[in-house]
Amino acid sequence: MSELDRETRDALAELLLAMADDEFVLGFWDSEWTGIAPILEEDVAMSSVSQDEIGHAKALYELLAELTGEDPDQIAFGRPADAYRHAALMNHARTDWAFSIARRFLYENADAVRLESLDGSSHQPLAGLAAKMRREETYHLLHFDLWLRRLAEGGSDSRGRLAEALEMLWPDAQAVFAPLAGEARLLAARILPDSLETLRARWLDRVVPRLEQLGLPVPSPTQRAAAPPSEARTRRTPDFEWLHGEFTMVARSDAGATW
Amino acid sequence: MGSKDRVWEVFSQEAEGDPMVHGGSVRAPDEELATHYAREFYGRRQESERLWIVPRDAITELDDPDLLKPPFDRSFKRPGGFLIKHKLEAARERAGSPQVDEEGE
Repeated sequence: MSELDRETRDALAELLLAMADDEFVLGFWDSEWTGIAPILEEDVAMSSVSQDEIGHAKALYELLAELTGEDPDQIAFGRPADAYRHAALMNHARTDWAFSIARRFLYENADAVRLESLDGSSHQPLAGLAAKMRREETYHLLHFDLWLRRLAEGGSDSRGRLAEALEMLWPDAQAVFAPLAGEARLLAARILPDSLETLRARWLDRVVPRLEQLGLPVPSPTQRAAAPPSEARTRRTPDFEWLHGEFTMVARSDAGATW
Repeated sequence: MGSKDRVWEVFSQEAEGDPMVHGGSVRAPDEELATHYAREFYGRRQESERLWIVPRDAITELDDPDLLKPPFDRSFKRPGGFLIKHKLEAARERAGSPQVDEEGE
């Protein structure tokens, strides 16, 4: 990694942190379904998918730690709430099943687009990790598309809740592709093969037709045209502050302990 | 979900060529979700090469003891009831084939 100059390294660190925090925070939100999902089998499925995301976050934090010489656990659990860099999509509480499914559908597709691009990254450790993650995400995509369809076709109550959640989450879902300070540097080094705006367009090309097919609300042309603001990865909410308190509780109880 | 759920029996194969072994069952309203859940319960730890997911009501069960465990001694129907080792040796000699140290029963 020493061949990267300082600015490129910082830019890569910013990208890795954003991706890791997306996976980490979403993994924690949806792990809250353990014990209360619609049926026992789904309980296990949702818990396991959430565990996958935390596993991906772990791999990304480790890659980041190698780059910066920090401790991966410290990055994951040792930061104050306002130092997390997940997209605003992950700022919201779990809410109801339709809300969680709407968020997963939007995120899994965004993540798929991002990983497909990074599969061709010039930074080998990241390209390798993206390829591995993509294989596991295949099932996530299938599973949440299945649930999206079921809720869309499941009657007025589930459909209404799903539609409401999608409309509410649109602007924050775009935040997965919010510009990064070091993006130009990442593009020049081909660490990031496509710009975030290109990726956002690809994501829209996938989710919009699918939602239209199911008769669900889609973002207006104005909403689609507006690139997400850079603060979409820094804005934090009371919901997230609460979750942060939960997931750092054990680590804080005896900081620096060896487990 | 709930009342429309069916039970699906899941069979798994640990390695290519192994027999399909019954692993257990999952409850799901249709084949699609049954497949997802079978994967979660019997395949997510890379322990399976292949899964078969079968609706329980598609299985024809035979458990009649009169048919399966008849009361009379049937040991003569088992191949183990016959000792063929010597017959096999004699047959090999007749055929002039080399002796192999493979044991016939």
